[in-house]
Amino acid sequence: MEPDSKRRKTAEPNGASAWEVQPVLSELESRDIRLMPVYAAPVLDKKETCRLMKEVSAIYPLSNYPHLKRIRACLSAGSPHPLEMILCLAGLNGEQAGLRSLAELFPSGEVDFCGLGKPFLAHVPACAPLTRPQYEEAASHWPVSFHENKRISQALKGCLFSPLEKDRMQGYMELAIQAAQQGARQGMEPIGATVVDPATGRVLAVGHDCREGSNPLLHAAMVCVDLVAHSHGGGAYSFEDYPACTFLPADNSTQPPPSLEDGLPYICTGYDMYLTREPCMMCAMALVHSRIQRVFYGAPSSHGALGTTHHIHSRKDLNHRYEVFRGILEDQCKRLACKESS
Amino acid sequence: MMEAAKRWRVSAGETEAWMDRAVDMAKDALENGEVPVGCLMVYNNEIVGKGRNEVNETKNATRHAEMVAIDQVLDWCHQHKKEPEEVFTHTVLYVTVEPCIMCAAALRMMKIPLVVYGCQNERFGGCGSVLNISSATLTDTGEPFQCIAGYRSEEAVEMLKTFYRQENPNAPKSKVRKKEFSK
Repeated sequence: MEPDSKRRKTAEPNGASAWEVQPVLSELESRDIRLMPVYAAPVLDKKETCRLMKEVSAIYPLSNYPHLKRIRACLSAGSPHPLEMILCLAGLNGEQAGLRSLAELFPSGEVDFCGLGKPFLAHVPACAPLTRPQYEEAASHWPVSFHENKRISQALKGCLFSPLEKDRMQGYMELAIQAAQQGARQGMEPIGATVVDPATGRVLAVGHDCREGSNPLLHAAMVCVDLVAHSHGGGAYSFEDYPACTFLPADNSTQPPPSLEDGLPYICTGYDMYLTREPCMMCAMALVHSRIQRVFYGAPSSHGALGTTHHIHSRKDLNHRYEVFRGILEDQCKRLACKESS
Repeated sequence: MMEAAKRWRVSAGETEAWMDRAVDMAKDALENGEVPVGCLMVYNNEIVGKGRNEVNETKNATRHAEMVAIDQVLDWCHQHKKEPEEVFTHTVLYVTVEPCIMCAAALRMMKIPLVVYGCQNERFGGCGSVLNISSATLTDTGEPFQCIAGYRSEEAVEMLKTFYRQENPNAPKSKVRKKEFSK
């Protein structure tokens, strides 16, 4: 478990509602530690440890599981032996692993059993831990090695963003909430979005869901992708009927955005999107195509593709990945969702 | 899926004819510097929507052929005073390349029952190549759809290869870009 106390360090600006930014990690990073059965045995004579390690490892190198430490110390004072050692995998192919004798596990006779106790079944982490919570869970089962990613750990502790940054994030989400409310007044789903260029802090587009209009695919994220296209002189839809859908016209900028020079279709490169609600599969993939840099959403959704049902932002088999954080003004965003008629 | 298979059968001749048209659309995309994907949406033996990639043209990376065609079908429904749901649930999509994850999700939401496509989409495919959005039962959005793959797939692949050989002038240049940013 991660320490709760550290989260409190980022004091909320006075009067602001409390909310926490949580990173939405990849599927591998956020899943529970899976365990697998192994045969282990007590090391009764500590002096034999080194030799036993060598001999056992020669027969069962466990080379697919480099994260596993072969030996664990038995810390409890009442333990009859000081160390335990993993011998080999057990029942990996689904068959029920029964107890085996040392002679059955090492029939070749190349291991001298001197100093080794009776084998028993243990359950150990099947994969290397990627995050500190995973490491802590894994290590509670059996010692494992862990290469900590400092940035992920910081993010998980909630101290990746300064109070000033959180203030700005809140402002961008408030714009999205206002747009959602204005859209809702026109009979739309109360979902809003803001696109920001974090390099300049400029708001490039604000939009809301328009799916109840003429096109059921005009979800808030799709609307904003097209508004950004408009702001760069493109765009496929007219938002004239929706005054709350706005974009920063290209002429206003003192210099053309870097993307204009070398990558017109990837027009969201380097941009952040704030969404009141976790986007669906279509929208999450649209943001991959648009090369968005980061997505911040308020409330999760039951068919959301950025953490709930899928992790579209962090797939190695797609050509672009983006960072996702959730929880910005979560309560307000959740309240928006409650107003939905569906 | 079984139900869809029963209701939606397209003859080989029909498929050939529509796919020929879709391939022509893809060629048009290629000639205009767009990813060569073309498609048709056919309702009651009539083309109610067609599309090719318009990503560069619109500066919107979501303007895939299928999304363009869906918009056209919606317009068609509007003009002919038809309920979109009635039309889409009886429309077959003919497309040169397997729909991507985004388009597959969109097709589900529009409740299109059948997609006939040419080649696989190894990079983004949403009908099995990367994810299987078409037949997934978990997502609570829209309806699964049936796929028939392989019509004129060699040609579709060849066009994609030609496009990517041209070295897309619009693809981001990752490292060079960073330097430009820091200027």
